[in-house]
Amino acid sequence: MTEGAAHTGVRVRIWDAPVRLVHWLMVSLIGASWWTAHAGKLDYHRDSGYALLGLLTFRIYWGFAGSSTARFANFVRGPRAIGAYLRRLPVRMGAHEPAVPGHNPLGALSVIALLSLLAAQILLGLFAVDVDGIESGPLSSHVSFDAGRYCAKLHGRNFNLLLAFVVLHVAAVLFYLVYKRQNLISGMLHGRRAFPAGAAPQVTFASMSRLLAGAALAGLVVWGVTRA
Amino acid sequence: MNASRIRRLARPWLLIVAAGYAGAIAADTAPTEAQKLRHDHFHQLGEAFKAIRDQSRSKSPAFPALQKAAQAVNDASVDQGRWFPKGSGPETGKTRALAEVWTKPVDFAAAQKLFADSAPQLLAAANAGDIEAVRSSYGTVGKSCKNCHDTFRQPNDDD
Repeated sequence: MTEGAAHTGVRVRIWDAPVRLVHWLMVSLIGASWWTAHAGKLDYHRDSGYALLGLLTFRIYWGFAGSSTARFANFVRGPRAIGAYLRRLPVRMGAHEPAVPGHNPLGALSVIALLSLLAAQILLGLFAVDVDGIESGPLSSHVSFDAGRYCAKLHGRNFNLLLAFVVLHVAAVLFYLVYKRQNLISGMLHGRRAFPAGAAPQVTFASMSRLLAGAALAGLVVWGVTRA
Repeated sequence: MNASRIRRLARPWLLIVAAGYAGAIAADTAPTEAQKLRHDHFHQLGEAFKAIRDQSRSKSPAFPALQKAAQAVNDASVDQGRWFPKGSGPETGKTRALAEVWTKPVDFAAAQKLFADSAPQLLAAANAGDIEAVRSSYGTVGKSCKNCHDTFRQPNDDD
């Protein structure tokens, strides 16, 4: 990064607090879920799963009703945009990268894949039953022992798939850090990103009432699942 | 080339192939008949356990289903002594039973006794239609399962 770029650049907030909080809570809770499953602490595993269900519900809602950088419609792009992005990928522009606030067209696919795999993981966990018929998900009483066991097997396999996409995601972030000299990690922490002067993007942030509505929706879904 | 010469040339290769095949068979540990039977018994036990858990969680427990499952659990606690014949350990095929089952017979019998002592209480509670007693005795039986599994069953199951 040159001195000039640092001086003439502007820092713009692109990620709102809910997106960042949900992101890092998901990171922690996916880790916690893995650990509690392996340590046999299934009570905590269930709680961790419920929390993730709430976060996922909120994130999907936020993808339709949240701030502009959180909305699926704004960052999920077609093959043409992905192709254009891939052709530009080897270019090292540092802070002079064209001002596209938020997810790039390829990263958008990664977001969709991660959220879908997490959704599948939670759904399978809700119906899973352990080998002894002692530990089970909250909706397992609606399925047979064998069906619950099958869900548990898929719950294990789907996790490996989720893990593979997490590794890919982290690898992409490291590629940006090392090769493109762009720190996306700090952006996900404080929410801001540097842009060349005069190229500051327009980001619209969602209101507090929308945030509260999303939190209520997430709470309702978790409550419904644990009550069913 | 006569027949005996062919046989002499082929013999080392046959030996290597046979040894490799035997090695592959040994590596691919299939469960023996006794191990398969044991697995089926524990599968049914798991099924019965889930039924009891489902009913004890329900706002309106179905006692006939609960009693049938509690009976199956009780039967298992009586029959379990026959499920671990000598030679059905990990040395003979695919099983999660650890060698300790046979090398620590006194400890294993004590662990089995915990199950045998608690299962009749669960059955009695189910037959009496007392859901609170079912819930608490289910917990006691569950602890006896875990106690034995902690020492005598190979950890890590699913995935």
